[in-house]
Parts: sequence; structure tokens; C-alpha cells
Amino acid sequence: MSDFDAIVVGAGNAGSSAAIYMANKGLNVLLVDRADPPGAKNLSGGVLWGNDLAQILPKWQSEAPLERFINNKKLGFLTEKSSFMLDFKTQIFEENKVGYTVLRSKFDPWLAKKAKEAGALVIPGITVESLAIKDRKVIGIVESGDTITADVTLLAEGVNARLAIEAGLKRPLRDSDVSLGIKEIIKLSPQKIEDRFNLKNNSGVASEYILGFLGELNVGGFLYTNKDSISLGVVVPMENLRENGVTHSYDLIEMFKEHPSIAPLIEGGQVAEYGAHLIPEGGLEMMPKLYGNGYMILGDAAGFAFSNGLVLQGMNYAILSGIKAAETAVEAKLRNNFSEQSLSAYEEKLNSTYVLKDLKTFKDIRKVTNNPMMYNTYPKLLESIMLETLWERGQPKKKIRDVLSSCASNLNMGKIKTLKEFYYIYRRM
Amino acid sequence: MLRMAVMIKQVPDSQDITIDPVTKTLNRTQARNIVNPPDMNALEAALQLKDKYGGEITVITMGPPMADSALLECTSRGADKAVLVTDRVFAGADTWPTSFTLATTAEYLGGFDIIFCGEETTDSSTGHVGPGIAEFLGVEQATYIHSIDYQDPYFIVEREIEGAVETLKIGKPAVVTVVLNANNPRKPTLKRKIEAFRKGVITITNKELKLRPECVGLKGSPTVVKDMKTIVDKPKDTVKVGPEEIPKVVEVLTQRGILKC
Repeated sequence: MSDFDAIVVGAGNAGSSAAIYMANKGLNVLLVDRADPPGAKNLSGGVLWGNDLAQILPKWQSEAPLERFINNKKLGFLTEKSSFMLDFKTQIFEENKVGYTVLRSKFDPWLAKKAKEAGALVIPGITVESLAIKDRKVIGIVESGDTITADVTLLAEGVNARLAIEAGLKRPLRDSDVSLGIKEIIKLSPQKIEDRFNLKNNSGVASEYILGFLGELNVGGFLYTNKDSISLGVVVPMENLRENGVTHSYDLIEMFKEHPSIAPLIEGGQVAEYGAHLIPEGGLEMMPKLYGNGYMILGDAAGFAFSNGLVLQGMNYAILSGIKAAETAVEAKLRNNFSEQSLSAYEEKLNSTYVLKDLKTFKDIRKVTNNPMMYNTYPKLLESIMLETLWERGQPKKKIRDVLSSCASNLNMGKIKTLKEFYYIYRRM
Repeated sequence: MLRMAVMIKQVPDSQDITIDPVTKTLNRTQARNIVNPPDMNALEAALQLKDKYGGEITVITMGPPMADSALLECTSRGADKAVLVTDRVFAGADTWPTSFTLATTAEYLGGFDIIFCGEETTDSSTGHVGPGIAEFLGVEQATYIHSIDYQDPYFIVEREIEGAVETLKIGKPAVVTVVLNANNPRKPTLKRKIEAFRKGVITITNKELKLRPECVGLKGSPTVVKDMKTIVDKPKDTVKVGPEEIPKVVEVLTQRGILKC
């Protein structure tokens, strides 16, 4: 007889969602997290799309510690002196509030509290040492020499999934699997935020940027508005950092903050928190086998996150994978069978959701998002087209075709090669 | 078997506290709640005594319902029972009614051979409550101790006094207060935490203690806080120094005994 029906390692979005679902279905669940309060060490950019959360917590919009709902998405291309913004604002987001900015240090403890209310035993402040394995089956976890057993162990331990890796259930991370995210939370009064970003009634903006002024580095930026703070950060592929010998990665966020189109937005703000975290971006290539005898792997630990340059998501993937793993555990409990074969239902379930569908559809997306042209060249191209078109300098005007070709040739972009590139990107996005 | 109690308090982590300039009250909203640090040393002293001579440790706190997490921190480290003394009428107590209420709780629970307290709390730094409990109970006490041993019917304790260490022999039952860093508090283990969280805490209210409302809480407190001020450190005269002045800086620091060359 095991101590628990299920042990969940990690109280992030994936782990807590799984614990809530299983506890609601009457399973005896242990949810353990290294931080106290649980989840307090978790970090992400900070936009939550809550459709999946509604499955387990229908009242999440009124109960969760949410910051602002997103009614404005922006995509910006920055060069040293210019910014080119796509700015999409819609009443439709206002009518269907599902995207919210959140602060994980508030949101995750709340989600873990919901797991406790559902009946899970939530133990914070404990770092699990290893998985307990007997006869090639995961039978629980080990801490301070004690083994705590469960019929099934759900590994929601985050991107650097130490337990899974050490047990040989997942290969170690490679540079190509991850990007480094560096983030600051900058305090500003709600009034200032609303004035600067043209917001009202708790609405918010989520902006992603391509930083085209950092030479060989493929750096993306983000800026999200919270109630009384701004979440701002940069994301850079680990491989790219290493290749360029960049050791002071935190300088990148400073350069982003100093950009002429960013600095006025955060002026007068005080940095209240900062942090860095790895972001799984390796997609299918880094995805481990998702289940085996007595275990399943969830969320970031499984590499479930998505970025195509326009959107950067992970929390919703974590929640949905948590729910699907929990469903599988509940069904396995009914069959009283926690074998690899029984838990394979987890992957089947994920196959019919966007979690695995997106990873398959966009399996080559890194070639676009990590394409150096995207960072080094296209922002400059946009800048020169805009200057050529909009800057009156007493010169004869050109047709758009000629503007394009002269701007492209100034940047040493061959016509055919450029068209090929665009087609390549178009196909994969 | 020794019957031991440890009196603890949940305090805001002092690093995170500011004073509200308007209301002059402590702003604790941003602060994480922790167990008052010397209380952890008091608990560890009790645990070591239990390891050596056996016994049962009851951890007691008076505070709001959310203080249960502080108690669980202690049972997760090996204390046997957790008691939360909580009631609206106990709110706003200064050290006098706090000592009185805790002493009454100790009696209500059947009395203890020894009660451990931290030397003082980091949020008010009075050091009153330990001695207060001893006085209300009319038992022997030793304050600011850093070690304790047991020779029935005595406790042998050591406390640091100026330039010397004092060893005292105090009779059972007794109250001791333990200094910060007297020992190295053990870490909780998952197994103990699971047991502690499952066991939970025992709640005691004034229904059980039956204290007169005018003797407890704010009403029973002789202390009045008249004012609170934030003292801003004046920036000292700073001089910008270049690399060429480093030897001079080193010299000054060496003269003052801050650096050793």
C-alpha cells in the first residue's frame, strides 16, 4: 500500500493544476514544492491564457490574483534609433477576457492554495532529492533518506528537470533546448501605467519585441503591464549567448531598458524584483518520453512551451498538460494499473490537444525565431523603408518597389535570397 | 519523561518591513511571515534535550489563525504537538497580557517541566514574555542562555555575562529564554512535514481559558504607542576616488583595523 495515490513534484501551473484535478476526483495527493509559500520561486514572463484553467477552476477570473486583462497586443521591431510597431487593440478581447497578466509570486501560491482546498496535502519548502525506483518502476520520492511512496508520480519540476534527468527518464538539457529569460518587475503607479499605455478599467497591454540593435545576438524583448508594475524582460537563445561569449547576460536587459522607445515607458519606475529563468524552446526535440511505469512528465519539464515570435506561451500548456496527466492518473486508479501501458493514455490525450499539436505544427519554428536575419537585418530593413517613405528630404519620391530594392541592396540582401527567406518564414509561421 | 513547551511567535521577516509615514504603523503587507529567529534556537534546545532524555514537546503560539504555519514549521522539525491560542479578545496584546495568556495556557495544558522561549522577538525586541510567563507561573527562570542540560530535578544552563560564562542550576519547573544562534536549528524533513501537516494544530480560545476580557488583549495592555517615526540616515559626505587612491584607502582601513595586511 502506497503512502499516496499520487505525488506531484513542483507547485507550478502544471503541478498544482494536476493536484487540483486529482484531489477533486478523490485521489489522495501529495503536492511538494521547494519554495515556501509553494510556487514562490517560479518565474515567467507573465501572460496567462486561462481557457484551460477554467476547466478546473471555473471562477478563476474572480478569485485568482490577476493583474490586467489583455486587450492590446503589440509586436515591435527595434533598431538603435527607431521602433516599428504592430499595434492590435480589440473590443473582442475586452468582451472575452481570457488573457491576463499575472505575477507568478502571487499567482502560484494561490493556485497551490486551491490544491490544498481541493484536498491535496501541500508541503512547501522541501526539495526532493531523488525518485524512488524499484523493479524499473517509479514508486515515489526520496528526501532526507526517507522514501515516500505513491502509485504514480507526476514530475512537474520545471525546465531543468533534475529528478527526471538523474533517473535517466530525460536527457540533460542542451544549449539548443533553451533560451534564457531575464526579467524585472518595475513598480509604477496605476495612474502612470494607464496614462502611458492608454489603458483603463483594468485593461492591459502585452508587447513582444525583436531587438535589432544587439549585433549578433538574437534577443527578443517583452513588456507587460500589471496593476501597479511593469514586467519587462529579454529572451535570448542559450546557444546564441554561448557562441558570442556573452557572460554578462544581464547587460542585455539594461540595453533594452535604455532603448529610446522603452525608456520613457518605465521612467521613474523602481525595480522591485528581478530574476532569470530558462525557457524550454526545443519543442519536440527536447521532449522526453512523457510517461513510463509509475510516472508522467508535465509542463516545462516536458518542454511544453511555445514561441513563434508573435506569441510566447507556456503557462496554458502547463495547465492543460497537468489536467491531462491528472485525468490519466484518475483513470489508472480506477483500473488500479499504473504501468507504462496504462499511463500511455496521457500522450494520447495530449495528442488531441493543442499542446502536442502545436509542437508538431511548428516543429521548425526555431529556424525562424532564431534566424539571425530576423534580428540583424529585418528591423533595419523596416527602418530604412519607413525612412525612405516617410522622411521628406527634398528628394524625388520613389515607387515602393524601388524603395524596397534599394533598401534591401543597402543591407546586402540579394533579391532572390530575400524572397526565399520570406517564403521560408511564411511557410513555417 | 520531560514535559516541554516552546513558546514561539510568528513575525514578519524584518528585512521587508517599512513604516507607513501617514499612519505611523508598521507596514507588514510586503513581508513574509517567519518564525521569530531565536524561537527556532529555543525549539532546537528543546529538541536536543528530548533527543538526550526523551520527552514530549508542545509548541505554543498566541496569534491570528494564520500563525498556524509557524507552528507547523516547528512540528515539521520534530515537536510533538502544536497549540494555537487565538481569540478576538486576545488581539492587540502587549507583553503583559501575552505573558499572562501564555502562562494560563501552560497551566490549562497541565503544566510543563520546562518552558523555552526565544530571547526576544525581532518585531518588538522587548524580551519580556519569557520572564513574564515565569513570574505569572511563579517558577524559576534563566534568561539569555545558550546551553542547557538536565539533572533531575534541576536544569543546568549557561549564559554569557560580560567577560565570563555563568553556569546556573535552576529547579524544575522552569522557564528559560534562549539567545539567537545558540545552536544550529535542524531542517525539517519531508516525512516529518507530512506527519506535521496531517496532525495539524490544536486551537485554544478563551472559551477554554475563560480569562476576563479586561485582563487580555488590547484592554489588558498597559502600553500605549504614542508615536512612531522613521529615521532617515543622512547620507555621509562621500568622495569619489580613482584607482590611484586605492593604496590610501587600504592604509586608512588598515589603520582602523578593518583590514589586516
